[in-house]
Amino acid sequence: MTRLGDLFDGGRVLPGSLVVLAIALAAFLFADVPGSELVTVGALERALQAATPIALAAIGGLYAEKSGVFNIGLEGFMIFGALLGAVSAWVTSGSDPVTQGDLWIGLVTAAVVCGLMAVVFAVLLIRYEAEQIVAGLAMWFIGLGFGPFIATVVWGGVSSPSLPNIDNVAVPILSEVPVLGRLFFDASPLVILTIVLTVVAWVVLFRTRYGYWVQAAGENPEALDTAGVDVNRVRYVTVIFSGVMAGLGGAVLSIGIGSGFTGTGVTMVDGRGWIAIVAYLFGNYNPLGAYGASLLFGAMDMLQIQLQTIGISLPGSITGLFPYVAVLVVLAVVGYTRVPAAVGEPYDEGD
Amino acid sequence: MSDAESSGVRAVADRIADRMLAASVLERIAIAVVSTTLAFVIGAGIVAVAGYDAGEFVYSLVYGAVGSLSNVAFMLRQSTMLILTGVAVAVAFRAGVFNIGVQGQFVVGGFAATLTILFLAPLLPAGVAVGVVLMALAAVAAVVAGGAYAALPGVMKAYAGANEVITTIMLNFIASGVVYFLLDAYLRPPSAAAPNTEQFPAYVDLPGFAFGSPSFSVIGLAIALLTVVAVYVLMARTGFGYDLVTSGYQEPAAKYSGVDPNRMVVSTMTISGMVAGLAGALFAVMVLGYYSDPNTFPTFGFDAIAVSLLAANNPLGVVPAGLLFGGLDAGGQYIGFTLDVPSELVDGVIGLIVLFVAAPELFRTAGRYTSLGGDGE
Repeated sequence: MTRLGDLFDGGRVLPGSLVVLAIALAAFLFADVPGSELVTVGALERALQAATPIALAAIGGLYAEKSGVFNIGLEGFMIFGALLGAVSAWVTSGSDPVTQGDLWIGLVTAAVVCGLMAVVFAVLLIRYEAEQIVAGLAMWFIGLGFGPFIATVVWGGVSSPSLPNIDNVAVPILSEVPVLGRLFFDASPLVILTIVLTVVAWVVLFRTRYGYWVQAAGENPEALDTAGVDVNRVRYVTVIFSGVMAGLGGAVLSIGIGSGFTGTGVTMVDGRGWIAIVAYLFGNYNPLGAYGASLLFGAMDMLQIQLQTIGISLPGSITGLFPYVAVLVVLAVVGYTRVPAAVGEPYDEGD
Repeated sequence: MSDAESSGVRAVADRIADRMLAASVLERIAIAVVSTTLAFVIGAGIVAVAGYDAGEFVYSLVYGAVGSLSNVAFMLRQSTMLILTGVAVAVAFRAGVFNIGVQGQFVVGGFAATLTILFLAPLLPAGVAVGVVLMALAAVAAVVAGGAYAALPGVMKAYAGANEVITTIMLNFIASGVVYFLLDAYLRPPSAAAPNTEQFPAYVDLPGFAFGSPSFSVIGLAIALLTVVAVYVLMARTGFGYDLVTSGYQEPAAKYSGVDPNRMVVSTMTISGMVAGLAGALFAVMVLGYYSDPNTFPTFGFDAIAVSLLAANNPLGVVPAGLLFGGLDAGGQYIGFTLDVPSELVDGVIGLIVLFVAAPELFRTAGRYTSLGGDGE
């Protein structure tokens, strides 16, 4: 709790951001990129959408790691979320076209089922002290295998048919405001929901008793135990929460802003779960920072469209790599962040 | 040095080390067998729930692996690749470094081998002897490229404290993307519809001998087994191997004896990547005979993680584990062709095996409850 003060400083986010800014500036100066055409309202809108699934998973993973459990299985949970969202929306609609109601049911189902899977995962990690990195990798493999498998059972192919996505919600009057109106008041409700969840996650983590418990479970579990709080119960809650959030993030990808599930290759999640982990590391375990980093990666993801509109045509196979390269640059610059002291260590109350 | 970051990772590594030392070989084998069986039972259950015939599923899995000579050849081909990539993973894990980037190093290595063959072949006369020389040069190129590609995350981990699990996964995506781009833009013959290179000359190929399969060679298997022995000797019988393992698990002791842990991390990753690169060369020469879109390749580099874990990261144990997973792979693909059960199921079963292997405590607890074995701690 004494560390509350330094939770506000960005850790190494500030130098990191400066490097990213410097690279952008160099690009503008040397490559003669017209910046004003690159940063448009449309680009920001797309970046906010692309950031949403990453940010949801990142906030979940952040809570788990804060409490002392490294959930490296986010990618796997996201694959199941993307699949389950599409499957349940499709099944709910029956033989009728998929409606908005079906999509919302799909979203909730994905979050709930991924939460239940996270219960099993948490029991293995906490009760049975499974090696966290290996178990997380296993979650990824299970998603890569069973995701396309279930899709084939349901649709006869590894991808779903094209599905609608959740409509934008326009707030009267406010949506007329220039720039902000289009970004936030005529936007996907999921973009708004994610921003709200980010702020709530920040408040809970840094401003409530429960948030202190989460932090203590990761920093000094013995002290928390002495204070009469069940360390492992706190950890169960955060790991299950991370599963729910990653599942939600996956569902946002397939039916929230996308148009169905794609199960080819490494599936449509395509590394976003891994990028989510980097996002919260870059954000120094601060939900607001994690959201900012997600926005950075989202913008990278959407850069191809922007480059095309200003007449720079790089092949999609190269621009598609921008987020991954950005992750490497971020990791090279940020390097280590101060990991919670007890991450990776199972806690035995009995001893 | 990154004390803060390493305390978490270090703690994890220490626990793995403790487990490995505490668990007897017999116990490890028991865990492997029970994990595999359990994963299978769940897999068969899922098949049944999905409305298929589980008995037929199991029968086809076995038949696909060993039911005919050509099935055996296919299984051994998959096993060869999995043994090599499995050893690559095991070297790193053994030294406390998580190299999840074997797939990317495999792709880069195979691409380097391909470039070597395609650029040198027109300059040299055709012939079997030239073929052998080309393959040797291709192997060297692949080993160098794979090692260099793995050294990058090694350097990032050692000197910037970047988590190698994440950097290597990012580098997998980047390897596939860049190689695809180069194939598509520069190496695809004008007539080709897909981003494939030209075929290698016929004399650049490993002879098949007994199996009559164009994509499996006994020599390939022999190369894999020799690599296993070489890695085992390096790890268990040389001072360098000793430093590698101690710096992974007992950093203070290693430091005391004058070993630079940062350099060991880079060395470990490089050796691991060299083996992965060799696997890539073997895949290009023995299996494909040309090079194509890496996004369509089998995920040997990921399955290798399961192989290595099942073998308790022991280079010699990788051989039986590689054979098992090769059989699973062959059986799974046979199922995909013959039954209407999707072959992706087998990938999921492999994931379950990894999950169970990750939690030996589960089996100890089960052992205590059933009083069947288990050390009770």
